[in-house]
Amino acid sequence: MSKEAIMTGKYFMNGDEACAEGALAAGCRFFAGYPITPQSEIAERMSKRMPEVGGRFIQMEDELSSIAAVLGGSWGGSKSMTATSGPGFSLMMENIGLGMMTETPCVIANIQRGSPSTGLPTAVGQGEMMQAKWGSHGDYGVIAYAPTSPQEMFDYTIKAFNKSEQYMMPVFVMADEKIGHMRERVVIDKSKVETQPRRKPDADPEDFLPYEPKEDLVPEMASAGEGYRVHVTGLTHNEKGYPQLDVETQKKKVGRLVDKVEKNKDDIVEIKTQGVDDADVLIVSYGMAYRTAMGAYKQARDKGMKVGIIRLVTVWPFPEEEIRELSQQVSGIVVPEINQGQMVHEVERACGDRAEVKLVPHPGGGLHKPKDILNALEALI
Amino acid sequence: MTKSTEKKAKTKKWETDGGYLFIKEDYCKECSYCIEFCPQDVLEESESFNEKGYHPPQPVNLDQCLNCNFCGMICPDFAIWTEEAEENE
Repeated sequence: MSKEAIMTGKYFMNGDEACAEGALAAGCRFFAGYPITPQSEIAERMSKRMPEVGGRFIQMEDELSSIAAVLGGSWGGSKSMTATSGPGFSLMMENIGLGMMTETPCVIANIQRGSPSTGLPTAVGQGEMMQAKWGSHGDYGVIAYAPTSPQEMFDYTIKAFNKSEQYMMPVFVMADEKIGHMRERVVIDKSKVETQPRRKPDADPEDFLPYEPKEDLVPEMASAGEGYRVHVTGLTHNEKGYPQLDVETQKKKVGRLVDKVEKNKDDIVEIKTQGVDDADVLIVSYGMAYRTAMGAYKQARDKGMKVGIIRLVTVWPFPEEEIRELSQQVSGIVVPEINQGQMVHEVERACGDRAEVKLVPHPGGGLHKPKDILNALEALI
Repeated sequence: MTKSTEKKAKTKKWETDGGYLFIKEDYCKECSYCIEFCPQDVLEESESFNEKGYHPPQPVNLDQCLNCNFCGMICPDFAIWTEEAEENE
């Protein structure tokens, strides 16, 4: 195996391995994690590759400590990540909130499996889409990507790192077991990889305020040992980083945690559309469910039905303006998900009563049949 | 380590297109998952016995192997796996 951090070439790789390679390409040099199916291949790949590129891999005793170590790695100056699946994601929730509150850039890949609880460890699910947004206590903006192929696992992990550094926050890669274990061609090209460096302060160490927002509402970050005072706390804190427990500070801090994502939505939100211009009905989908939806879309078009398909590249922040805009012209929207209805609530909220929204649920453990989605489309036309 | 453990660690190695296939015959308990689920039908049951008295798998269509390591993922006994070659062409 190459000792290069970015292994330019064409590979036959599974999604998990591509995710690990994407992280290394983005500059990740610290991985802390705990094995869990179907994520283990990320940790396995990282354990092999990190020493080759001068980074650190550590297997922690559980997921709580994994995310804690990742936050510490980031405060120490390394781009850091962890990866897990459903039960581990639940265990990480408290410290994900700490990462949000302390504005710590890092990436958390969640390779979702059948849930709740231990569920279906070796089978697909999309049960944590809402947990990614609302899982930890309190209000904060969230950025989450939903890849649909091993190539996108590579590409979107790089994007996730870039956004986490740009907006100084934990960012999620919400993949699923099928994408993680799917083996496809992955093309890696070093010349096309763009990375976002850490936002380092250039102020005098005496004057530096670690939580002073810049124009885009995002602060800069000094690492321990660079001459700046580094103070991190989960308590509500002022711009100096010191705890200040009053309404005014809370309003400023929490308001900004939400606003730095909401007000920069134009830069963050990404969707991909096909056939929406003349569509009478739409499919809104993401992740593995999108690949089945694409099958249904093609079958529907072959039958002469005017169907469009929207894919959520970023599931969070939810592209509500885009969905609202596109829902004006259609009679109905079909939302296939490998859960009992999560993102469908956001779609309903975005399009109000302008169009009928129909969920095509799947309990997890397998995939929709294109026919399930096709039947829902036919019912709405 | 005892001598018998060392003997168990013996690994057979085949060259595939772009990588290697490894089989630790004495780890095998003949569940046949690798033979059944190989997407390329690379494997078959051999006629030889391992030291536990089972028939380990053997490659028949080695040129079809893609080094996907699916056999390695589903083998319950770490008896078979593939690796990619060191340098990617």
